[in-house]
Amino acid sequence: MNLIKLRKAIFSKSVLRGFISVGGLIAFWELGRRLQLPGLAVVPAPSEVFAALSDIVAKPEFWDHWYASFTRVLGGFIAAQLIGIPLGLMMAMNRYFHAFTFPLLEIMRPIPPLAWVPAAIIFWPTTELSIGFVIFLGAFFTVVVNVIGSARNIDVRYLRAAQSLGSRPIDIFKRIILPAVLPGIFIGMAVGMGITWEVVVAAEMIAGKSGLGYLTWSSYVGGNYPQIIIGMISIGIAGYISSSLIRLFGRFVTPWQSTQ
Amino acid sequence: MTMNNNGPIEGRISIKNVSKIYDPDGAKVLAVDDCSLEIQPGEFCVIVGPSGCGKTTLLNAVAGFHSISSGSIELDGRAICTASHTEPPSAERIVVFQNGALFPWLSVLDNITFGPEAQGKMTRGEAVSRARELLAELGLAPIAERYPGEISSGMKRRVEIARALINDPKVLLLDEPFRAMDALTKGVVQEFLLRVLDKMRKSVLFITHDLEEALFLGDRVVVMTTRPAQVKKTIMVDFPRPRTYRVRSSQRYLELKEQVFEAVHEEARKAFEAGEREMA
Repeated sequence: MNLIKLRKAIFSKSVLRGFISVGGLIAFWELGRRLQLPGLAVVPAPSEVFAALSDIVAKPEFWDHWYASFTRVLGGFIAAQLIGIPLGLMMAMNRYFHAFTFPLLEIMRPIPPLAWVPAAIIFWPTTELSIGFVIFLGAFFTVVVNVIGSARNIDVRYLRAAQSLGSRPIDIFKRIILPAVLPGIFIGMAVGMGITWEVVVAAEMIAGKSGLGYLTWSSYVGGNYPQIIIGMISIGIAGYISSSLIRLFGRFVTPWQSTQ
Repeated sequence: MTMNNNGPIEGRISIKNVSKIYDPDGAKVLAVDDCSLEIQPGEFCVIVGPSGCGKTTLLNAVAGFHSISSGSIELDGRAICTASHTEPPSAERIVVFQNGALFPWLSVLDNITFGPEAQGKMTRGEAVSRARELLAELGLAPIAERYPGEISSGMKRRVEIARALINDPKVLLLDEPFRAMDALTKGVVQEFLLRVLDKMRKSVLFITHDLEEALFLGDRVVVMTTRPAQVKKTIMVDFPRPRTYRVRSSQRYLELKEQVFEAVHEEARKAFEAGEREMA
C-alpha cells in the first residue's frame, strides 16, 4: 500500500513537470554553449561543470568552505534569535519599553545589512566577528518585527479565557502568549534564514577568506569558471537545507499548526 | 465536583442599577442604563436584544473583564463589580465566548485540565483523571488527544463547555456561544448543554440573538431595549426539565415565541431607525 503511494508520489505528474523544466534548462544551457549563443558562449556548459565536479568535491577545502559558511550562518542566526525573541516579546508587552525602543529599531531596520560591513570591520576586532555581526543583523530585525507582530495579534479571547479559568499572569505568559507567538517566530526564522544566506555570501565576497561566497568569488578571480557554477549551486543547496531544517523544527515544535 | 441533581445553593447574581458609560475620546456613550436583574441560584437566564444594545457589556462586567460606571453586581451577596472596584476574572464565573476560545496549541484533554492546573486546585495527574472522567460522561472520550483544529465546531463547543464545568463554577456566562453554527449542529449542541445542566445545575447567564434558542434553553428570557440597555420585558419559560426538542412544537412554545418576538422586534426596529438617523 505504502509502496504504491510512494511510487505514485515519485512518478506523479508534478514531479515529472519539475524534471522537464530543470532538464529543459540544462539542455538549453548546454546547447547554448555548444552553439555559441550570445551570452551563453562564455558560461561553462553543464557537461564541463559536471566533469569538474568530482575533482572539486574530492578536495577537503571545498567542504571547509561549506563548514565555514554554515558555522557563520548558524552563529549569527542563533544570536539573532536569542536576542531578538526576548526583545520582541518585551517590546510587545510593555508599552513604555516599546515607546523607547521602537523608533530606534525603525531607523536601524531599513539599513541593508551589507551597508554595515565597513562600520562592522572598523568596530569589531576580527573580520570573523564583523561578518558574524552583519549576519546577525540580517536575521535580527526580521525576528523582532515578527515577534512583535504575532504577540500583538494574539486574540483577546484567549487571554480572557485564560483569566476566566483562573490563570496567574506568569501562566498566561507561559501557556498562552508563548505558544501563540511560536508560529510567528518560525515565520520570522524562515524569512531570516533566507536573508542570512544572502548576507553571508556577500560578506564573504567582500571580506572573507573562506566560505561558499568566498569560493565563488575567488573562482572568478582565479578564472576557474566551472567552480563558480558549483559554488553558486552549493549556496542554493545550503540555503534549501537550512530552511528545510527550520520548517521541520517548526513542525515539531508547533504540531497543532498543521491541524488548523 | 460531583454530578447530581441537587440544586446548587450558590450562584446568585444580583445586578443592581448598573450603568456603563463608554468614554473613548470624550464622546460619552451610555451603553447600559440603570439595569437591574437577579439570577437565582441554578437559574438559566437568557438575555436577548438588538445588536449592540449592551448585552455583552453587561456580561463582561459580570465576568470581571471591565468596570461599570455606577450600580453594583453581587455574587452571593459579595460585591464583585462596583463603580470603584472590579474583582478580577476568576474560575467561579467562567465565560464561553462567541467564537469559541479553545486554545489551539493544547489538546482537548489539556484544554480541559487548564483551569484546575492554573488554579493549583489539582495536580496534573488528578486533573487528567478528572478530565477523562468528564470526557467519558459527556461522550467526548474519543477526541481527548486531538487538537481543537481537528474537531468539528459542534465538538469544540462541547469541549469548551466541559472545560468550564470541570472548575465547578458558580456561574456560567455564555456570550452567543452557538452563533454562526448551522441549525442542525446548533440543535445538537443545545441539547448537549441542557443534558449537562440537568446533571449539574449551574446559574447561567446566556446571551443570544436567536429567540428559538432562548425559549428552548432558558427558565427566563429577558428582553433588553436598544442601547442604552435596560430590561424591557421578562418572560418566564415554564417548560418542565429535562427538555427535548419536542418542546418546540408545543402550543405554549408558539405563544411564548410570539410574546418574545413582539418585544424584540419593537426594539430592533428602534435600533434600526436610530441607526438610520446616525447615518443621515
